[in-house]
Amino acid sequence: MKRTISKSRFWAAVRHVAPVIALTVFTLSSANAVRAHPHVFIDGGVDFHLSENDTLKALRVTWLYDAFETLYMLSSHDMSLTQDGVLSEDDRVALTDRLSNWPDDFDGSAHLTVNGQAVNLAWPSGLDVQIIDGRLRLTFLRGLEPPLPLKDADVEVAFYESTYFFDFSITKTPEVIANKDNCRATVISFEPNSHDPLLKALAKLSREETPTEANVGANFADRIYLRCGQ
Amino acid sequence: MRTIAVLAILALLFGGALMVIDFDAIAQWAATEQRGFQNGMADAIRALRMGQTEALLALFAGAAAYGFFHAVGPGHGKALIGGVGLGTQVSASRLLLLSVASSLAQSLWAIVLVYGGFWILEVSANHMTALAEDFLAPLSYLAIASVGALLVWRGARSLPQATAQHHDADHHHHNHDHHSDHDHSDCGCHAHGPSPSQVAQLSSLRETVALITSIAIRPCTGAIFLLVIAWQMDLHLAGVLAVLVMGLGTASFTGLVAVSSVAARTAALASADNFKAAGVAFAGLQVLTGLLVIWMSLSLLRYTL
Repeated sequence: MKRTISKSRFWAAVRHVAPVIALTVFTLSSANAVRAHPHVFIDGGVDFHLSENDTLKALRVTWLYDAFETLYMLSSHDMSLTQDGVLSEDDRVALTDRLSNWPDDFDGSAHLTVNGQAVNLAWPSGLDVQIIDGRLRLTFLRGLEPPLPLKDADVEVAFYESTYFFDFSITKTPEVIANKDNCRATVISFEPNSHDPLLKALAKLSREETPTEANVGANFADRIYLRCGQ
Repeated sequence: MRTIAVLAILALLFGGALMVIDFDAIAQWAATEQRGFQNGMADAIRALRMGQTEALLALFAGAAAYGFFHAVGPGHGKALIGGVGLGTQVSASRLLLLSVASSLAQSLWAIVLVYGGFWILEVSANHMTALAEDFLAPLSYLAIASVGALLVWRGARSLPQATAQHHDADHHHHNHDHHSDHDHSDCGCHAHGPSPSQVAQLSSLRETVALITSIAIRPCTGAIFLLVIAWQMDLHLAGVLAVLVMGLGTASFTGLVAVSSVAARTAALASADNFKAAGVAFAGLQVLTGLLVIWMSLSLLRYTL
């Protein structure tokens, strides 16, 4: 005796199978994203320290870790929050000391170009460490030696880390210190696209792997454009 | 012929799903949600630290949601559960129980690993996460690949038998081997599919433990990070409870996969043209899902080495 399938039974089967197939495909296609670049997400921004005649003396960089990363970082430094939800002054000073010891391959997160030419910045200085609403905030200066006149120049700061292990986002409005009336800063955010083949390739990298493409982070950078002297 | 039609439809659905659904976008969405809930947990921990005990509820809610979205995102547990649901004759309720048990075992293993490490070995937080990433993850993927291999081996073993029986049945010969546990009494059409003793029913304790272990051996990094923080912030018990709740959150999604994979198998077999064809379909399904499980776990392994 043969069993035949009715139309309704057929569609019931299709209905049942479809979600599982979809789930399987999803699992297979996305299996590698679990260890994807980027690994650490940092908000923040860049401010401009100007002296008279629109001369750029330094950039002030702000990093704001998310709440979870903050607690994890404190834990890995054997530190804890006080009853007020901040760091004790001793811990804050100790952490500032430790974080001031920048790694040799530190690439600064702020990449300055003037009229299309890359400008070298001094090693970070003046690090300040605070807990703001449960988030670790670092601010530091990157000096220009010598200071650079900006009048009528196209100034651009790209906010990124070259290997894209860290994903930096500009969330803070850029300040132009001492000369704000004469300069205008505009933020252009990077718009991610999940179909970007480069992003897909990066998604397959583990924590220990480094992308083969040099300076890959620049492709996904938020940028600040500054014009002075209008 | 119906079997071929069913398999062709499955293949078409598979291909269609690949084209229509934006999996990268889903993965990204799940990752963003996870980050959001992680930060919610961090805020709750800070509030607990500041003496606000009511933040415990927020911590549990964040942990449950994190666990759920962790399971929606990429991961090996649900692939294995789904593979077992499609490729073996396990019942839905049993597989559901297995997904809860494996998720909770995964949570418990993370707790033993982190708290035990802090307490007995006095290792640092950085060492703890390195241990999970570098050692336990590859081990877990190998364990899962071997479960996949087991499915393939079983399917391959019952495939020639199933096709041979199909042929015999078509010609109304009944001289093939009957298995001692083969029951004809409740069915006039000779259910010559692989008998329950031939296929995996996950009935043995050994198999059940193997399945749970292969999922639990790799604790999720989110759980490890949370436990490290809870230990450091002197919120030991809250950390344990939150990670168990996280496991239940994960189980609620893998449980969905468990039920739908069993339903899919039942539907696929019910729509095969007769019970003999069902035997072939079943064996084929077993080989196919086993191969998928192996492929996925080995590709994950490749990225960890």
